[in-house]
Amino acid sequence: MYLKVESLEKRYGHLVPVSGLSFSLGQGELLGLLGPSGCGKTTTLRMISGLIHATSGKIIVGGHDVTHLPTYRRNMGVMFQSYALFPHMTIAENVAFGLEMRKLSKADIAQRVSSALSMVRLPALGNRKPLQLSGGQQQRVALARALVIEPDILLLDEPLSNLDAKLRDEMRNEIREIQQRLRMTTVFVTHDQTEAMAICDRIVVMNRGKLEQIGTPHEIYERPSTPMVADFVGRINRIRCRWRDDGAIAFGHTAIGAVSTGPAGSEVLVMVRPHRIELRSAGAKAGRAEGENTIPGTVRQVTYIGDSLQYAVESEGEKIMVEQATTSAGDTYKPGDAVTLNWRARDTLTFAAEADV
Amino acid sequence: MLGSFLRSLQFLGLAAILLFLLAPVILVFPISFSADAYVAWPPSGWSTRWYGELLKNEELTEAFSNSLVLAIYVTILTLLIATPAALVLARNTFAGRSALVSLFTSPLLLPSIVLGLAILVIFVGYGLVGSWTGMIIGHLVITLPYALRVLMTGLSTLPPFVEDAAGTLGAGPFAVFRRITLPLIAPALVASAALSFIVSFDETVISLFIAGTRLKLLPVSLYHYVESRTDPLIAAVSALMVLGILVLVIVIERAIGLRKAVAK
Repeated sequence: MYLKVESLEKRYGHLVPVSGLSFSLGQGELLGLLGPSGCGKTTTLRMISGLIHATSGKIIVGGHDVTHLPTYRRNMGVMFQSYALFPHMTIAENVAFGLEMRKLSKADIAQRVSSALSMVRLPALGNRKPLQLSGGQQQRVALARALVIEPDILLLDEPLSNLDAKLRDEMRNEIREIQQRLRMTTVFVTHDQTEAMAICDRIVVMNRGKLEQIGTPHEIYERPSTPMVADFVGRINRIRCRWRDDGAIAFGHTAIGAVSTGPAGSEVLVMVRPHRIELRSAGAKAGRAEGENTIPGTVRQVTYIGDSLQYAVESEGEKIMVEQATTSAGDTYKPGDAVTLNWRARDTLTFAAEADV
Repeated sequence: MLGSFLRSLQFLGLAAILLFLLAPVILVFPISFSADAYVAWPPSGWSTRWYGELLKNEELTEAFSNSLVLAIYVTILTLLIATPAALVLARNTFAGRSALVSLFTSPLLLPSIVLGLAILVIFVGYGLVGSWTGMIIGHLVITLPYALRVLMTGLSTLPPFVEDAAGTLGAGPFAVFRRITLPLIAPALVASAALSFIVSFDETVISLFIAGTRLKLLPVSLYHYVESRTDPLIAAVSALMVLGILVLVIVIERAIGLRKAVAK
């Protein structure tokens, strides 16, 4: 493992923005720190970069303990949310700054600056000042400035949040492409789960200063280890029920099947993603597969949002959201229709009720 | 109809206020070229004799050069003290920080006659009255609060995280200050230097208390001069001072204009 974070903690008096945080990543890996605002992800990034000091715990890079090294000795490339370009310097001077601090020769610096600017596709703008550039261009400069020093680790703090939606996807893919080409070990802080899923090898989901789950995007989405993770990475229904003694979950007059089981009578939090539920007309008998849940319900509300239809279905006194991709066929259910909700038992996520906070 | 009437009334009011504020300043220029032996309006004739008289007046020229040297010393010392102080106060959060800021800027709130008297009482015991050291310290008491205010404001307008960014790129604290912080607060430094210079050069009350009779300073000498005489010499001095300060104000304007050029 190239970067190791061990029991990292930050305290400000009574405030503990980060505690007991441990994770590690291999050379060339892109790790996402994902969580709601105030979850401690940026504090963690700043501790890794040395901009704030950890109260306790260790940060190890390539086998060396850097916990007590000042920022300027850590050789980490940081890209800030606000880009933090030097407004009084030209683009080329901005990119050259880190190389000047490393006392490289003038010729060497010029050559490296121009190749870094070509890498981010801004070869001709070296003489401009940062404020003469668009947001997207400023961001490329910030990336070039962070990468030109050949850092041990690249740290990205919400790099895409100041861009408009279209540019964001483009930059996201570009960052991923450059990161893979350079095999750059990278930590990427974001509050946007789509962004994290799209480019990260693995994701650390953080909440209230603690690690909730670490895993691949697939693991995080399909097998969330806590209700918070399940909720944070995508839309989801939550229903409170009780386990039955036959291993199924009591849901009003019917039962919900899940892969796991729990002690009979104990409370359970059931979560199902809206787009994993299929709606069928109440009469239809066809297509009932083994291990599939079929729950009767009544459509209460239909919302058309172009690429999908969102249904609010009432079943056993609970409101369950269902999402289906729209088709050109266009025959949809209407409010009042009697339907069945169908989903696979393995799409039923179950959590101990006390985990729901 | 009513709107345009109100607007012209507004314009007239504005013009009247401007005239009221600027009339004394503007008036000293024609009076300084008066050929009369006393201040009168309008002058009966024109000449440059009072500028000549001014050059021949040893007390005033000595006082002028003393004040100039003093203002330069005070300005340099103000920047040397206020810059690190502003950095510490603007960057760190520690217990008593806001109390310190209030303490350092409190001389702005005190009437200078109170300050002057207090400084006099203390200085007498140390033999600082009438000395350059005493004079410089006395002026620092009033220039430092101004400079501190301006520099702290300047530091607070720095774009976020640029110093952090420089640190991550390998710049140690001193390199960060020299390459990033200093160039970015240059406008604030120029403004506080100009402000300190003007405040020190113009300061009358504190100088009156501490300069004693040995050390001649321009505002004090002028004050004593007008006590006994009312010739246009005083207008010549005033005209020169207005011009000098105008130059300084242009310097400040350019410095702030410079900031606009950088920050768009």
